[in-house]
Amino acid sequence: MIQILHLVEANLITEPEQTLELTVQTCLLGVGITLLSEWDVLAFVYRHGATLTSAGQIARLIGYESTVVGGALDRLERQKLIESSRPSHGVHEVRIYRISASTNTEHRHWIQQLFGLSESRAGRLLLEKQLKSVRPDAGNEAR
Amino acid sequence: MIKRGLTKTGIKGLDSILLGGIPRANVILVQGPTGSGKTLMGLEFIYRGITEFNEPGLIIVFETNPDKLTRDACGFGWDLEELQRQKKLQIIFTSPEVFDQELRSPDSLLLEFASEMGAQRIFVDNVGLLNSDLSGSNSTRGGYRELLQQLTESLNRENLTAMFSLEVGSSADSIAITEMTAFLADTVIQLGRERRGRRMHRSLEIVKSRGQDYEAGEHTMHITDGEGLRIFRRVQAPLHSNAQQPTSSTMRSVIGVDAIDTLIGGGIFDGSTTMVVGVSGVGKTVLGTQILREGSLRQKTRGLLISLDEHPAQIIRNAQTLGLNLEEQVADGTIRILFESPQELDVDAHYARIVQLIEEHDVQRMVIDGMTSYSTAIGEVAVYRDFFHAIVAYSKQRLMTTFFNYENPEFLGISSYMPDFPLSSIVDNLILMSLVEINNSLHRCISVVKSRGSKHSFDTREFVIGQGGISLVPLEQNPIPAVPLQSYSSLLSRAPTRFSVPKRTNGAAAVQAKE
Repeated sequence: MIQILHLVEANLITEPEQTLELTVQTCLLGVGITLLSEWDVLAFVYRHGATLTSAGQIARLIGYESTVVGGALDRLERQKLIESSRPSHGVHEVRIYRISASTNTEHRHWIQQLFGLSESRAGRLLLEKQLKSVRPDAGNEAR
Repeated sequence: MIKRGLTKTGIKGLDSILLGGIPRANVILVQGPTGSGKTLMGLEFIYRGITEFNEPGLIIVFETNPDKLTRDACGFGWDLEELQRQKKLQIIFTSPEVFDQELRSPDSLLLEFASEMGAQRIFVDNVGLLNSDLSGSNSTRGGYRELLQQLTESLNRENLTAMFSLEVGSSADSIAITEMTAFLADTVIQLGRERRGRRMHRSLEIVKSRGQDYEAGEHTMHITDGEGLRIFRRVQAPLHSNAQQPTSSTMRSVIGVDAIDTLIGGGIFDGSTTMVVGVSGVGKTVLGTQILREGSLRQKTRGLLISLDEHPAQIIRNAQTLGLNLEEQVADGTIRILFESPQELDVDAHYARIVQLIEEHDVQRMVIDGMTSYSTAIGEVAVYRDFFHAIVAYSKQRLMTTFFNYENPEFLGISSYMPDFPLSSIVDNLILMSLVEINNSLHRCISVVKSRGSKHSFDTREFVIGQGGISLVPLEQNPIPAVPLQSYSSLLSRAPTRFSVPKRTNGAAAVQAKE
């Protein structure tokens, strides 16, 4: 898959795009992500390791409504993709969010594949397209 | 051995400047301009704490993406991801506002987290951002001060040794913030980054450190790939020596070079310093090589030759042509050769390397060949003088016999021993090597013009360089010129005058008569 990604990035192939789309779709379904907002929130937590923050702050940083990020955080936590600490008593809605230690190996593999893909513009567009196609109403939540 | 109550930073060279470390639970402020290495210092403080002292750590970042921090650390060979997996390290990304409010909370989530992982160190990068939403008015500056006080109180309560970074700007507000933060911190480390000529120089200075003494002044800092930070103590910093350590000896050692031993009368004092002054090509390097080789072979002393001009291979080759085989001594480590290019010579780092070599190999004789190259490489007279003084002081402290070669620029006639560097008074012995023109040929001469505590000869003697190095021409067997040097006056002027009547008839006179 990595080889295919490099070729896509270099605009050298068009034919395997369908295969690539299928792989991306498999990864997304595997980790259980259907919404673009979920992907963006997961990417934020993944990139920042552990984050002491609130849904509102993440929303401001990645350009979503606070409620959308709050919903995404809840769903990602239920899917054991991320974990959070108890809420801070001092600051409203602030918790420590981080990638779940209990995420299974297969999930980790899929997530890493998706992050590898999202490092190229072509990959990001494909991911965005896939997420929209998986759940057309996700467009309402997108930036 | 770790001193009780001190936190070692683990950063190479820093703990020795801090005379062992920083008092535990001190709040350390690392301040400096952009690109001076503040974040790296915090990162290494945490990394070394975990890997060398088993002290888990927490890093709080506001601006830097933790991913990039982890990536940059990889360049120094520090695997932060693995440390996070082992739960010995946690990098937490947050905003200054959340951090501020959260730490004010009586049951702070952050401090609870730190306690759970057993953190003993925390690095906050950078605390100046805690002031980002303040306009700079007196009331908000007061707010920042209060915030910092609360922050340090919270961290002290948890017995965390905290390091804060602070970007130093030039605006009035930034200066006020810097002063306020520096006042509240227990230890303040100032990092600098400035142009010196066309190169960049990094520096480190301990501005204050409550509860301890430290090496004051501006030290040199290097950032090295695959290694991290390294601090080099400024060369002129006074040595912290054991009061019992003698700095002079009544023991004399035969140098093994007859030119010196004959003229000084039985060798020079151990631990003395000798300046060998002479014009280019007169044989200073040969003498230095010979001193080290003889020391190694006959006195069993370990030697160090330092050169900014010649690569070790070239030194060995040139010595070989005179039958002075250095290869064996270099191979078995009894003689070390340190060559460093004079281009971009960093004097603090260079001095540290010399000291390291001396201590690692227990060097007892050292030859620095030569001081003139240092003058050119260092540029600043004050720094050059500091370097020289430091080497002399260090040599004395170790009772190491040290020779400095100095190239006198005057080819004909000497008006001063060291015209651009009048420090001949500091050394114990002064040897002058000259070229003298007699008839149409140049002759090499040597004189001992100073030898503290010794009854030395003031005669100027001719010497030759041949197989085995330098040797004095015997007084009675001086083949050329037809009369010995004693028949001349004004030899040091390099324009000698021959006495009208030969002082004695000897072998040389016989040669003259034969002619």
